[in-house]
Amino acid sequence: MTSSFGKTCLVTFLLLLFIGQCVGRPLYQLPSTIAHRHKQPLQTSRPYNVAHRGSNGEYPEETAVAYMRAIEEGADFIETDILASKDGVLICHHDVTLDDTTDIANHTEFADRKRTYEVQGVNTTGWFVVDFTLEELQSLGAKQRFSFRDQQYNGKFPIITFEEYISIALNARRVVGIYPEIKNPVFVNNHVKWADGKKFEDKFVEMLQKYGYSGSYMSKEWLKQPAFIQSFAPTSLVYISNLTALPKIFLIDDVTILTEDTNQSYWDITSDAYFDYIKKYVVGIGPWKDTIVFPRNNYLDRVTDLVARAHARGLQVHPYTFRNENSFLHFDFLQDPYAEYDFWINKIGIDGLFTDFTGTFHRYQEATAPLSHESKDGASDILHKIASLINSYTRG
Amino acid sequence: MEKRRVNSMAMVFSPCFSPLLFLLFIVGCTARPLYPLPSKVAEGTRKPLQTSRPYNIAHRGSNGEIPEETAPAYMRAIEEGADFIETDILSSKDGVLICFHDVTLDDTTDVYQHKEFANRKRTYEVQGNNTTGFFTVDFTIKELKSLRVRQRYPFRDQQYNGQFTIITFEEYISIALDATRVVGIYPEIKNPVFINQQVKWPGGKRFEDKFVETLKKYGYKGSYLSKEWLAQPVFIQSFAPTSLIYASNLTDLPKILLIHDITVPTQDTDQSYWEITSDKYFDYIRKYVVGIGPWKDTVVPVEDNYLQTPTDLVAQAHSHNLQVHPYTYQNENQFLHLNFHQDPYQEYDYWINKIGVDGLFTDFTGSLNNYQEWTSSFSLNNSDDRASKLLHKIALMVTSYEKV
Repeated sequence: MTSSFGKTCLVTFLLLLFIGQCVGRPLYQLPSTIAHRHKQPLQTSRPYNVAHRGSNGEYPEETAVAYMRAIEEGADFIETDILASKDGVLICHHDVTLDDTTDIANHTEFADRKRTYEVQGVNTTGWFVVDFTLEELQSLGAKQRFSFRDQQYNGKFPIITFEEYISIALNARRVVGIYPEIKNPVFVNNHVKWADGKKFEDKFVEMLQKYGYSGSYMSKEWLKQPAFIQSFAPTSLVYISNLTALPKIFLIDDVTILTEDTNQSYWDITSDAYFDYIKKYVVGIGPWKDTIVFPRNNYLDRVTDLVARAHARGLQVHPYTFRNENSFLHFDFLQDPYAEYDFWINKIGIDGLFTDFTGTFHRYQEATAPLSHESKDGASDILHKIASLINSYTRG
Repeated sequence: MEKRRVNSMAMVFSPCFSPLLFLLFIVGCTARPLYPLPSKVAEGTRKPLQTSRPYNIAHRGSNGEIPEETAPAYMRAIEEGADFIETDILSSKDGVLICFHDVTLDDTTDVYQHKEFANRKRTYEVQGNNTTGFFTVDFTIKELKSLRVRQRYPFRDQQYNGQFTIITFEEYISIALDATRVVGIYPEIKNPVFINQQVKWPGGKRFEDKFVETLKKYGYKGSYLSKEWLAQPVFIQSFAPTSLIYASNLTDLPKILLIHDITVPTQDTDQSYWEITSDKYFDYIRKYVVGIGPWKDTVVPVEDNYLQTPTDLVAQAHSHNLQVHPYTYQNENQFLHLNFHQDPYQEYDYWINKIGVDGLFTDFTGSLNNYQEWTSSFSLNNSDDRASKLLHKIALMVTSYEKV
């Protein structure tokens, strides 16, 4: 008697469980699975607001909160730097060392991990990301790099992985692009080895493809999941051209810095001949803004023809980096970050910019070049609805 | 030789010369008036003072860019859209009213480079503090004019250091009056207790008397928003209530009581912050002033560089019909509380929209003007425009169906 009763009970129980499993979850869709046509698309009518390392003016750079805040503040793209951990996991972190942006110095268990390596020709001492496993990295707390910015979040947020960063972008309620950098690839490939002889660049593109990032600039696929791949190393960009059609941006450092992979000078890689060559692989350049307009005594001095020559070859220009603090503003801008945006957008005519202060740049753009929201959401729809209402009455 | 002299004498009275003289006479009388000085342009043709949004008060001129209280700093502020240009009035040794903020010349002039004044350093008590330096009241106007002004803050543009002079109250007034639109002035009766101790005027006149006299000389009169006032707007400000009350007997011009930090008592009546911001005091002082000018960190207290809960000072002032013009707004991030994310426009937004002030003293006139221009033309008007456009479309559709 008990066994047959027990069996019926069990079967019913299992059946209910089965039904529950099948039915329960799908009633509440994950945001990222919402059909894309319901998401407000990427704006393409004005220069891109690229949130440099997230809203790192307010939160420690490259943390989840910094990226979510940037999305909240209206970023078109959230930007990151991809490095690798000792065990080959791709992470979001700008410096090859952990010293300036984490609480590594407080972790006595890692006190003996300090090393000196050559990075881009310079002997550098510190705690290197490539000497820590992902688990160890995520035991650290990120801190605000600049002492004059908000210190209250120090130690509260961890380093995130490339995957976590991608899911932040995909889970946003509107289309938000990503802008990851293949960072220090020469150094990373020297220190981290992957299985099957895969390189850093291979793993980087693999990750993007895993999450459905594909398509050339402005293609249908690209607009659904926009992405720019950036790097200071031209051979890395050329290499991945064989792996993906996603648009690439060639970053250009200051006039004294040589490329880490080809040892070329600034003058070489900004020559007409080089632009003619690299434009086959990239859609644009990302120069340091003081090399577009050279300053003198903290005043803008000489405007070069860099932007004109790039534009003549169909190359976009996304300079870095825009910051609100007056110590970063040349005197022409009267300590006013909005004046700086105004100059670069209207006088120089750039196509996007890397900013530490997404909110400020967004406010500037909304005040001076607002997007017309009418066609996007309510107004025209309401009008159409009213029109059809009127129609239905006339027929009657 | 005599003949030649006679000839030259004859020439003077010759028929050629008198028409020349006559011509000269005509030209002399008519030429100048063909080009009236800007200040003489009929007021009706000048763009009036805006009174629909909080006043943009250029604190010491555009001193974010140009050394404070100089002619270029004021002209720049006018160019950038200031509603009022603000100044502090002190006095020279010989009783000339000058535009200068500190009682000493040390921080904003090159006085140290003038060896001829090396022995003028003094120590005086100023508002209860022993202060050492080169005091304006120990220099004649001629000596003050030999000095050159420099930028107070090292992180601001230093390129104009040593180029501009201290200006007088009169020169400041003429800058305002000569502007091509109506620009108000906002002079402060500064350190009156100290000035009256150090400088004596003939006829037993006091600092406050000379101050008001200068305003009257240039036609400044009328109560707040009166016709005369709108033609030549002015606010008289001071930290010393008795000076404002004294001035009330001399002029109807609107006055603003400045209020210092909570630890600083008034220099003339030795009253505490709490006393002069009490309901009782507001009831009293509103008979003499139209508003208050508090230090902004007393309106909304700050802790760890974050804003705390705002006090009710603004509500209290407004309930007594007193305007509120806080000081001072500066773009540099070291002056911005972290709530504003290093963005000076966010600070303006907070104070104008959340706190609801009636005017702001800013070192960066251009930025405040930008902010005000953008927010007035974009946020409200845009949605109103869209809505009425839609309504028109709908109306047209409805009428087209009616006709059928």
